[in-house]
Amino acid sequence: MDNLLWRSSKWASKLVAMLIACLALCWVAIPFLWAIGNSIKSRSAIFERGAIIPFLQFTPTLDAWKEVLNDPQAINCLFSSALVGVGTTAFVLLIGTPAAYSLARFEFRRVKSKDITLWFLSQRVMPPVVVLSPFYILLAEFGLIDTWIGLILLYSTFNLAFCVVIMRDIFRDVSKDVEEAARMEGASLWQVFWMIALPLSLDGLIVTAFIVFAFCWNEALFASAVTSQHAATMPAFILASRSTRGVDFNFAAVNTLLAIAPPVLMSFFVQRYLARGLSFGAVKG
Amino acid sequence: MAIVELSHVAKRYGDVVAVRDFNLTTRDGEFVVLVGPSGCGKTTTMRMIAGLETVTEGEIRIGGKNVVGMIPRERDVAMVFQNYALFPHLNVFGNLSFGLRLRKFPKERVAETVRSAARTLEIEHLLERKPKELSGGERQRVALGRAIVREPKVFLMDEPLSNIDAKLRVDMRAEIIKLQRRLGVTTFYVTHDQVEALSMGDRIVVMSHGLVQQVGTPKELYNSPINRYVAGFIGSPSMNFLRAHINADGTVFSGDNVCLVLPEKHPALVTRNGIQEAWVGVRPEHLVIERNPDRGTRNVIRGTVEVVEPQGATTILQINIGQEKKIIAQINEQWGREPGEKLTLTVSSELIHVFDSKTDQTCI
Repeated sequence: MDNLLWRSSKWASKLVAMLIACLALCWVAIPFLWAIGNSIKSRSAIFERGAIIPFLQFTPTLDAWKEVLNDPQAINCLFSSALVGVGTTAFVLLIGTPAAYSLARFEFRRVKSKDITLWFLSQRVMPPVVVLSPFYILLAEFGLIDTWIGLILLYSTFNLAFCVVIMRDIFRDVSKDVEEAARMEGASLWQVFWMIALPLSLDGLIVTAFIVFAFCWNEALFASAVTSQHAATMPAFILASRSTRGVDFNFAAVNTLLAIAPPVLMSFFVQRYLARGLSFGAVKG
Repeated sequence: MAIVELSHVAKRYGDVVAVRDFNLTTRDGEFVVLVGPSGCGKTTTMRMIAGLETVTEGEIRIGGKNVVGMIPRERDVAMVFQNYALFPHLNVFGNLSFGLRLRKFPKERVAETVRSAARTLEIEHLLERKPKELSGGERQRVALGRAIVREPKVFLMDEPLSNIDAKLRVDMRAEIIKLQRRLGVTTFYVTHDQVEALSMGDRIVVMSHGLVQQVGTPKELYNSPINRYVAGFIGSPSMNFLRAHINADGTVFSGDNVCLVLPEKHPALVTRNGIQEAWVGVRPEHLVIERNPDRGTRNVIRGTVEVVEPQGATTILQINIGQEKKIIAQINEQWGREPGEKLTLTVSSELIHVFDSKTDQTCI
């Protein structure tokens, strides 16, 4: 808050700014606090009125945590989520970045690169539920229902579009002169991509990877539809646990926190790239 | 080290012609400057030699081998870019060694070659730094270093000095020339600055609108420009042109205040070609103030000083010669001229240029 604009403001406007900030903070933090509170309650304490502050109003317990972490199904779902998330991210980047680079640097003879990009973008705009049944039938045909591979392929179709569109923009910001300098030094097109374009787009690549991973980690609709036991991910597990056990808020809270934790932890790591990454194209970096 | 030959080279983008019918054969180790205003095709020509741009027509030979259709890697040329184009994620050592590592040179040899190039350019102490930690001049040296380190057959330099400040530019100019002489590598140098072209090139190619106007040594271009374009482009301040009437006896009139006399041999040429209306060109530095006011009316230009621009050793005068015509004179006096002063200037007959009024080609 040590900038000129802030110091020169009147106290009243400062107060309003503070209030808005507090409100926003509550908006974000309350569901989170609710989940933490409920995860350390016993089943009976959940429905008690006024049981908000631990130790004072109710006795905290780690029973729910113990039970969930001892449940092989929950652990399996966490593992599935991680595997599918990492697998999809790797696959999407592997295919998507070269595609994005070609679209950024080359013109194709018959179809313009711009139009191909738009076609990729259209994949993202379409409501996913539209393709739920076709995808289900396709996966069933290939025997990929309830498999990690099936889920990875499914998620890749959505995220590939995202990766191509974003990375194309990022590659376009890489100086052409620098790439040409590399070609003059004797680099092949592939070497220019690998040794110049990719390292110079690392920020964007990390952000893209993070967003793709977070999408896979959070996706519930398709995961519930095409998995049951073996490959079920955490969101699918949370949705399913509601129907079998009734609403066990303490378990739901633990599951939610487990589901939230990895992306949140990762976001701390990618934070310094995120601010720049999300404003790509706004200012040339 | 190689001879570069360009024969009938042309480049078209759709209907737009960027370069047409470019012909040039360099000598081995020659320093060739391509000069012209922006958009004249000089950079496109260089990029065609580099292999960054395809050739629409014609042949480019480097060391006798036709390189059209070859990728840059196969041509063995090095290029220095206008904005340096250093690899921002690599340190200076990484930048200098990039090409050598791509060619799979053994590690010790890479380190040794890079160090020796760095020593030549006095950037040894910068090897660990990233490009963003360098000043403009240092970046320029690194860019040069990257070009010389793998000893290519040809250097290409695309306005390498346009991004550094004026004083450093003069130093770097001299340094590039020294470096090029020592290495003896055939060099193409693109610039829009004719002063740079004159001071650096063994030969200069003046281009305009995709066409080569004239190829020649600095002296040839300055003393015998082939047409009005080259005459006006080379030299600073640029040549004065006056629309003039030429009599059969070799007297040239332009308005009431200009009466010049062509050298003895010229009137015959004028009459033979039947030229009466022509452009007459006189360089500002060839105009001399006539101190004897009774000199007569032949070979004089009379006018009134309008603007005085002292340059230190010399002074540039803008002189009104009537009928809203102005000429520029650069005189060897430090100060002492005032606006409004009436002057009589004279010029030696040998230094007068005459251009065909229709074709703009040099007549004499």
